[in-house]
Amino acid sequence: MPAIEARGLRKRYGDTVAVDDIDITVETGEVYGVLGRNGAGKTTAVETIAGLRRPDSGTVTVLGLDPWRDRARLRQVLGVQLQDAYVHGALKVAELVRLYRSFYRSGADPEELIERVGLTEQRGTRFERLSGGQQQRLSIALALAGGPRAVILDELTTGLDPEARRGMWSMVEDLREDGVTVVLVSHQMEEVERLCGQVAIIDRGRVVAVDTPAGLVARAGLDQILRFRVARRFDPAVLDGVEEVRSVRADDREVTVTGTGDLLQAVSSALVKADVAATGTRYQQATLEDAFLALTGNPIESEESA
Amino acid sequence: MTETVPVHRPGPRSWAILVAAEAKMVARDTSGLVVPLGLPVLILVMNGLAFGGEDAYEGIPVFERYVMPVALTIVIAMIGVVNMPSFLSYYRRTKILRRLSATPANPAMVLAAQVIVGIVQSVIGVVIGVAAAMAFFDVGLPDRLGAALAVLGLAALTMYAIGMFVAAIAPSPNASVAIGLVIFFALGATGGMFGPTGNLPRPVAAVGEVLPFGASVQAVGNAWVGADQSPAHLIAMAAAIIVSTAIAIRLFRWDA
Repeated sequence: MPAIEARGLRKRYGDTVAVDDIDITVETGEVYGVLGRNGAGKTTAVETIAGLRRPDSGTVTVLGLDPWRDRARLRQVLGVQLQDAYVHGALKVAELVRLYRSFYRSGADPEELIERVGLTEQRGTRFERLSGGQQQRLSIALALAGGPRAVILDELTTGLDPEARRGMWSMVEDLREDGVTVVLVSHQMEEVERLCGQVAIIDRGRVVAVDTPAGLVARAGLDQILRFRVARRFDPAVLDGVEEVRSVRADDREVTVTGTGDLLQAVSSALVKADVAATGTRYQQATLEDAFLALTGNPIESEESA
Repeated sequence: MTETVPVHRPGPRSWAILVAAEAKMVARDTSGLVVPLGLPVLILVMNGLAFGGEDAYEGIPVFERYVMPVALTIVIAMIGVVNMPSFLSYYRRTKILRRLSATPANPAMVLAAQVIVGIVQSVIGVVIGVAAAMAFFDVGLPDRLGAALAVLGLAALTMYAIGMFVAAIAPSPNASVAIGLVIFFALGATGGMFGPTGNLPRPVAAVGEVLPFGASVQAVGNAWVGADQSPAHLIAMAAAIIVSTAIAIRLFRWDA
């Protein structure tokens, strides 16, 4: 049974359809990415899954529980980090972790948790005096206070510097190793590519594709580019029969090949067969960002202010 | 995955930690801590100087009948009408209540914890006020101590109900403080906070006496000098509780 299953979720606010018939299936122990630009409906979708919003229609099951009917039970096993929620500003790190831990029947030892998120030095610092990265780390600690079996992390690293971002990523990797199911809402390609097994791309309230990051790139059918140099004049006919190849351009001794699939492997073996020695090979693969653009038809920054 | 998750509500330990957390929030908000405790003492001192040595003014024992009830009513009104709603409004605006609703804790726990802390702060304020009056101005305990405590309790409930009303209608923490202060001063001015209500135009004084601040001052004053309670004051406070609570319940939002 999947850890999280949402079927046919719909949610509208007035005339705006925030979530339009979304299906999401998250397997136990996987890190599942929800990728989309701001305003695409990601947060509404996951907050509905967390039972914080009631869908207009559709069903949700999280760890075998209905987020509305079994609300009290689900709260014990689902950790949530909300996008812009604050905590008691004048309370100190250790006080907040202890407070949130007390809400749960079982869970992490507060001091261990503080150490795990790297806030031991700040344990006596008020929340309002922490840096953005430290506040984010505390927010994760609070989401993990009850020792959850599944966690929803909404915009985990938005606004963090690169070092803090990497710190958050390694925390998610730790969760994955502990077998915790993670739903990671993001609009950052690098983050999703690095952490997630499966990724759902959400655009205008709909899921436009679900696959592994590599699968999404392949599915977008984008060309890869291979460049290399040859010692003698190159005969393009050498690559004639290779079905991955789409175009070949030989410019004196510099050759540029575009194509799809496992282009590098296919071209390499054709060159070996024809006894052509290639040097200085450079390979450019389409990125998840290219795939995202191809699948949604817009650059991700275009609605950044939404 | 098929193992069942037992239902679990935060227990007494969690309540204790939450109340302690709210107490720290209040204690670390310097102005919210000091003003309700300091203002009544200031009122006592000012009146002590003004009435210096006079036990009675036109036959009425001034401190017992008037100054003490005003000082104590200021404590409970300030905390109930201004401070508590500003915390709730801040919790709502910063989505703290929403964050809590994603945990096994009910955001209503925070509300309850705030009220508990407010009551403790009020008791401290009342004790400080009474102790200062007894030490420096030779004021005795109320003649009818039980009645005085009961009336103060009723008045505190009234102020909290008004505070809930403020929290329900205020769109932001700043608005909450502004609305709270306006209500506080309006009730206070008509209820004797700036001087005996005898100095006010008669219709204003009559209305002020059945508004929560004035009703509390009159009722506490009666208990202090050993007079019988007048039903009008008690009914006025009960009515304020019912009206404020009803509106608060209708309008209160957990979400910003």
